Order: sequence, then structure tokens, then C-alpha cells
Amino acid sequence: MLKRTAPQAAAELDDAFLAMVAAWHRTGAPCDDAAFDAQALELFAHQFECNEPYARYAASCGFSSWEPPRTWRQIPAVPASAFKDATLATFDVARAELEFHTSGTTTARSGRHFVQRAALYDAALGAGFDRFMLAEDAGGVRPSGRTKFRFLNFVPNPRRSKHSSLGYMVGYLSDLHGDGNTAYFLDGDKVDVAGFIAACESATLRAQPLCITGTAFALVALLDALETKKTAFSAPPGSRIMETGGFKGRSRVVARDELYRRLEAALGIPQASIVAEYGMTELLSQYYDSVETRSSKMRVKTAPPWLRTLVVDENGAGVARGEIGTLRHFDLANRSSVLAVQTEDRGYAVEGGIVLLGRDLDAPLRGCSLDAEELLALRDA
Amino acid sequence: MNLTSGLRDLEAAQIVDAIADAAARWSDADFPPRVRAARAIGERLQYAEPVVDYALDKLFGAITRESLRATIAGELGSLEALDGFVSRAGRPDVRYAGFDLVAIVSSDTTIGVAVPPLVFAACAKSRIAVKDRSDLLVAAFVETLAEERSEFGAAIAAENWGGHEDPEAGAHLSNADVVVAFGGAEALRAIRARCKPDARFVPFGHRTSAGYVARETLNDEQATRDCAFAAARDALLYDGGGCLSLHTLFVENDGRCSVSSFRRCLIDALDAEAVTFPSAFERLTPAAAAIRDAANFRQSQGSGSSYTGRASPHLLLFDPPLEEPPPLTPRTLAMYGVDGPGDALAFIGRHELPLEALAVCGAERPDVLEMAAATGAARIARLGQLQAPPLTAEHGGFGRILPFVRAISRER
Repeated sequence: MLKRTAPQAAAELDDAFLAMVAAWHRTGAPCDDAAFDAQALELFAHQFECNEPYARYAASCGFSSWEPPRTWRQIPAVPASAFKDATLATFDVARAELEFHTSGTTTARSGRHFVQRAALYDAALGAGFDRFMLAEDAGGVRPSGRTKFRFLNFVPNPRRSKHSSLGYMVGYLSDLHGDGNTAYFLDGDKVDVAGFIAACESATLRAQPLCITGTAFALVALLDALETKKTAFSAPPGSRIMETGGFKGRSRVVARDELYRRLEAALGIPQASIVAEYGMTELLSQYYDSVETRSSKMRVKTAPPWLRTLVVDENGAGVARGEIGTLRHFDLANRSSVLAVQTEDRGYAVEGGIVLLGRDLDAPLRGCSLDAEELLALRDA
Repeated sequence: MNLTSGLRDLEAAQIVDAIADAAARWSDADFPPRVRAARAIGERLQYAEPVVDYALDKLFGAITRESLRATIAGELGSLEALDGFVSRAGRPDVRYAGFDLVAIVSSDTTIGVAVPPLVFAACAKSRIAVKDRSDLLVAAFVETLAEERSEFGAAIAAENWGGHEDPEAGAHLSNADVVVAFGGAEALRAIRARCKPDARFVPFGHRTSAGYVARETLNDEQATRDCAFAAARDALLYDGGGCLSLHTLFVENDGRCSVSSFRRCLIDALDAEAVTFPSAFERLTPAAAAIRDAANFRQSQGSGSSYTGRASPHLLLFDPPLEEPPPLTPRTLAMYGVDGPGDALAFIGRHELPLEALAVCGAERPDVLEMAAATGAARIARLGQLQAPPLTAEHGGFGRILPFVRAISRER
């Protein structure tokens, strides 16, 4: 049998991935370990062959084409910072359909994630949003496929921030599920409160359900402004909030419970209809708060079947369920870059997903030493 | 808390003598209050016994009659200027009066950092309120001072306040004439906001330290080894958690011992010093592990390398990217090969590193000394001595006793 060429392999992998997405999107079909293993190992082989920096790294971890990992759990994960240090792509990046840049919170350098085929990202995004964000809301309403939302977004406008993966994601979803009146209210760190109030009033008048998306930091800024203006809304039934991005690199951090309580009070959207999405520029798939835990104090993040996560210790060894460690993601949507990414995020595994603890990496220093966050704050002051 | 100004009835020399005698008792590792305090410090900070002992030896061993007298005379002209007017050549007579109330707040500091300012505020005859840590080291030392002279007990209160939101803390801060505060930017901002408007505020914020090895040092085998051990000690003591902890080390190229040979010396030295000064934790912290993983990836691409300790979870990085700030995680040291002092200065400037000290091997070279002075560091030290600042030198750019006194000049 003739050996497949790299483009053929890529096309086959993409087809297999899109089929997996479509099946889950339609029926919620799970992916068993053997199927995930098979696809992940094939993907590893493709990336080992076509992604030179990754092949070098995998070789430094003791793997080769004749001695590959035996299970997906063994696939070497690049640290997320590797996207700053190398071009991690299985193709000529001049032909990338998408190019995303990381924010680079502690360094002047930002990482770049090149995506060969936008269709893979779009499929993963659309399916995840449908099954997680559009699941039955707090009032027991599950929007039909035709329900359109007024997207009011507190994320970078994708037209102006072409390399923001968050902007792209929200832009795509707004196009897919929006009523055609999508608006953006975040410009850098500035929140356009007057614009939001006008848009919110207009949608409420027409009983048009809202989908408000925003980083936790931007939502706090919105709430502060609404409270100053003593303004509150009662959003139409079926409205939702997608909170994303957290407080990374921000000095003002508000507890999630408090944030959601204030959002409910100010916008009239029940806390169970506020869903946190967890993703990163280096991944093309996302976690969402599971439907079952949205009313509970401890929310569990759940992922589509093509995204799996190991919780590992400081030496990369898996830890027991319930034990805190660092998250290592395996995302089959990352066909054209690297499927295994080691994050700096902390969390632990539970039945049905993970509990995310953020990046509170170390106990506070005991002495008078400066840490990286402080250095950044001093430089920004 | 009613503090009396009983120290004003004493001559400065009597105060110095009492302090030196108390410190001498604390320099004895078997002195029971020290044994108790050392145990409490170990419990609070999880430091190993040798680390705590080292800290207490350095702290109290430095407080001698001679060092106190020399420091005060150096800053005020003479010890007697604290008791009455003294003449000065070509200038009006002067007397230094201590401020009435001094508050010392050590919000997150390591071992006994409140003791030196307390000692000098006492020499200034001030009343002193100290926020002590849960190990009550300062309170125990004040008890010893009171055994030497009862006036100390009446003039100094060392208590374990809550945060600066604590009403008691608020009362001290709002009444104090001088506030010495140790802590991060947010803590310092909050403390300063609670001080009275005309209070003298002496802040010691979070900072870091760096080192520089000149190529002349690397021309001698023994000096190279000594230098590596000195750097290792400065990096590992207190788990790299102090403002005097070494996190960044510049090593000049073109010495007889190459930079890569020095790396090997440094690896050995770190492993050896890690036995002498064990870590308070068994594993790399998650942040340090992430830094190591990033370094391993870069190494696989042919750029830089890293070493994780054998004897303890320390991390040494070689030539990490210059565009990134040095890693500031516990027990982590980044080493950069440089062509000269200009490279080091450019790196420090690029990342706006707030340096407490720069430790140097080869400071006799004028260009190295010039660079050290230009970094903004308050102290230029010898490598290996970073964590043992002399009491006779300034601290953080401030005088030792000057912050606690006001000058009264008399013209004749």
C-alpha cells in the first residue's frame, strides 16, 4: 500500500474529526477511550511528521516515529509558552486561514497559533455552543435551532482585533446565532456603557433574548458603571451570559459568586443562565460549565468528547481524581498545530469534567521578594 | 497600650550597651528564648533549622556595641548628639531628637526584619509599636531588652496585630510620627493611607536582587568555584523569597573558565548548598515547573537549557530569552552569559527590575562598579554575602537611625 502524503493524512484527519463533531452535535454521542486513542495517536504521528519543532520536542521526550506514544495520555504536551518560542504548525503558515495571538501577560512576546482550516474551529465552536450554551436555561427553556439572540459583546471586536481568538469565537457565534444586531462594547479596557444600555433597552422592548458575552473583568466594569447610574434591566426570557477569560493579569478580582449575583441583579438573568466558558488561544475547543452544576456552588467544567484533560503534578505525572494539579489538554481540533498543550491552569478532575481553580500557582511568598505579577504591575504603573 | 518614653531618661550609650548585651544573649543558639523563637519561626515559615539558625546568627551577631556606635556616629556625627547639642566643624551645633512614636509594620517579611529598625528607633529614644509575626520573635527580644533595662519594656510594644484594617493597627498608624512598613505595593499603599499626613513614611517594598561575575574571577579555578558556591548560597537561602535573594546572575564571557564550565560549577554548588540549606518544600512549585517546562521546550529547539536540583527542588536556567523578565519563583536562578556590564544594565533596564542589591565578583573593575551603581540598587554586595547585609550600612537607601530623628540646630 502506498504511504499517504501529509496533505492526504491531514484531509483524512480533518474528515474524521468533523465526523466526530457532527455526530456529537446531532446526538451527543460520546467518544470512547479506544476511539479517542486511535484518533489522537494518528494525529500525533501526523504532527510528528509535519511539525518540525514539535518533532524535536517529542524526540527530546524520548519519542520517535518508530517508538511513538502508546496511548493518548503519553503524547508529549508542549507548554503553552511554546507558541511564543516556535512556529508550531503542520503546514506552511503563509496559507493559514486563521492566525491568533496570545495576550502575553508576563512578557513582551506573544505566541501565535496558526490554523490551517477555519472549518475545524468553526465546527468545534458551533457544536460546543449549541450543546452547552443553548442547553435548557434556568427557566427550562431550550431554544430551538431558529432562536436568534441579540449578541451584546464585551470582547474585542473581531473586525478590529483580527488576531484575537476570543473575538473570532464570539464573532462567529454572533453570526451563527445572532439576530443581525450584534454589537461590541469593549474598546481596549474601556466599556461603552451608554451604548450597552441603549442596545439592551431596544432588545428588551422587542422581547429579543440576549446573549451577553464578556470577560469577567469587563463584566465587572459594566456592573460598576450600571450601579453608579442606578440602572438595572430585566432581560427577556431565554437570555444568557457567557463569561469568559477570567481576570487574567488584572488587579481587581471579584469572587465569581459575587459577580454572578450582581449580574443577576443588574440584568435580570438568572445565575443558572450565566455560563463560564474556559478556553485558550492555543486550543480550538472549549470547556463550559456543565448544565447539571450551574445551580450549585461548585461548577464543573465539561468538554466535548474531542477535548480531554489530564491533571498532572509538577513532574507531569497524572494525579488521582480529586487531587489538585496542573491541566494538560488534548484537543483533536488542533490538527494543524499541536494537540497536547500543557497549561499553567490549576484544577482537579471530578466525575463529568474538571473543576478549574485558575492560575493561583503558588502560596504567597513569605518574604519581601518580588514576584512576576508584582513586576508587571510595577511596570504598568 | 500605654507606652512611656522612659528611654529618654537614658543616655544613648546606655541604650546601646543594653541592646548589644541583649543581642549577645540572642547570639547564643542555646539561649532559651531564642530556642523557643526559632521553633516558632520554623513552624510559621517551614524553614529548616539550619536556615533559621543562620538567619538568627546573622541578625543578632550584627548587633554589637561597635556596629551600633559606628552606624550612629556615621549618620549623626556622634552618639552624644542623641543626648545633647554637639559642635560640628563649620556648621551650627546639632542635637538629634527622636520622634515620639514609631510604628513598625512587617506585613509579610522573613525572619526578624523588624529588629534593626526597632533597635535604632530605641537608640533614638522613641516609643515603639511593632507589628510582630505569630512567632513573636520581636516580642521575645523586647523581653530580653527589658531584662537588661526595664525602660525598654515600658517604651516598646511588640504585638501580633491583625491586618492593617485591625483597629489597634489603625490606632498605631494614625498616631505614629514615623511608620516603617515592609510589604507589597498594595499593603504599603493601604498602610500609608492610614498614617497621619505629616508622618514620616519609610517603605520597604518587594524587590529582587541580581549578581554579576566578572571574567577576571573566572581566570582562577578556585575563585570560580568559590564564586559558584557564593551564588548558590545567595539563591537558595530563604528559598529565594527575600528581596536579597539572587534570581538573576550575569556571567561574563571570555574568562579562562568558560561560561559553560561555570554552569557546571554552579550546578554542583547548588546541589551542595541545597544540602546545607534545605528547602521548605519538597517539590518544584507549579509556577517553577511551568518555567522549567518552557525551558525544556526551548532547549529541544536548541536554545538555552535548564537544570532541576538533585537534592532539592531548585531550578537553574541558562540563557533564557532576554525579552522575558527573569523568573522570580522560589529557589529559581537564571544565568545569562554577557559580553560586559552594558549587557547586564540593558537587561535590568529593559525589564525595569527594582533591585535591592547587586552582588558582584570583580567589583574592583571600574566599569563593573559603574554599572552596579547605575542599576538603581541600594546596595552593592559581595556575592555570597547578599543575605547578610551589614548593620553598619544603609538599608534600602535609607539611613539606619536617620529616619527616626529630627535635627535641631543651634546657632551661636
